[in-house]
Amino acid sequence: MRLAVFVSEYREPAMLERLKAEKLGIVLVQNGVYHAALKKDGNVSPVLSKDVEYYALSEDLQSRGFSDSDVVDSKVKVINYDGLVDLIFNDYEKTIWL
Amino acid sequence: MGKITIGCFSSLVGSMSLDFAVKLSEAAVKKGHEVDLWLSGNGTMLGKKGQSKFRDYSYLMDTVTELIKSGKFKITNCEACAKARGISREDTVEGFGVASMDWYLASAFSTDRILHIGGE
Repeated sequence: MRLAVFVSEYREPAMLERLKAEKLGIVLVQNGVYHAALKKDGNVSPVLSKDVEYYALSEDLQSRGFSDSDVVDSKVKVINYDGLVDLIFNDYEKTIWL
Repeated sequence: MGKITIGCFSSLVGSMSLDFAVKLSEAAVKKGHEVDLWLSGNGTMLGKKGQSKFRDYSYLMDTVTELIKSGKFKITNCEACAKARGISREDTVEGFGVASMDWYLASAFSTDRILHIGGE
């Protein structure tokens, strides 16, 4: 199963560690985009420690004062709503919202 | 082209999730997909007639109206949630459906993708 997980808050969802999928993508939206752009004590967010695909919604980054490229972790692909629609329909079969 | 069903269980106008759900719907419809959007809880207030458009407030009704006109977008309020908030069918914007949760379940079983956004 190809599973896209939406993370919308700036905390590490406990369930994230337990999720397994043939292909797992983590989509950072709303306050979840802080995982892509902020560091704590010089360290990236633990949410970014998995060997999965990461995406962050550009509009949510920009509305929080982050430009797309300069502060976003290199593991994270920045996408817009068009790209998100394509992800949902083409790249993943199931979606869940944490 | 496919169909996506989005269930939004929050919130008041101005919430991040409701805003997200409408913008995702808009992007999907522009790409030729169909969208069913189910509003529950405080999300039902999106369908209330007579909303005002203030500067600095998120205002989604213009987008929703255009989406309804597209013929590829269905938006439905949870009847019980709306009634609990004093919103009757007469208070609801034209083009909005009002139904029990059966509508959401039926849509979920006939769609290609589903995104269930919980409450904030």
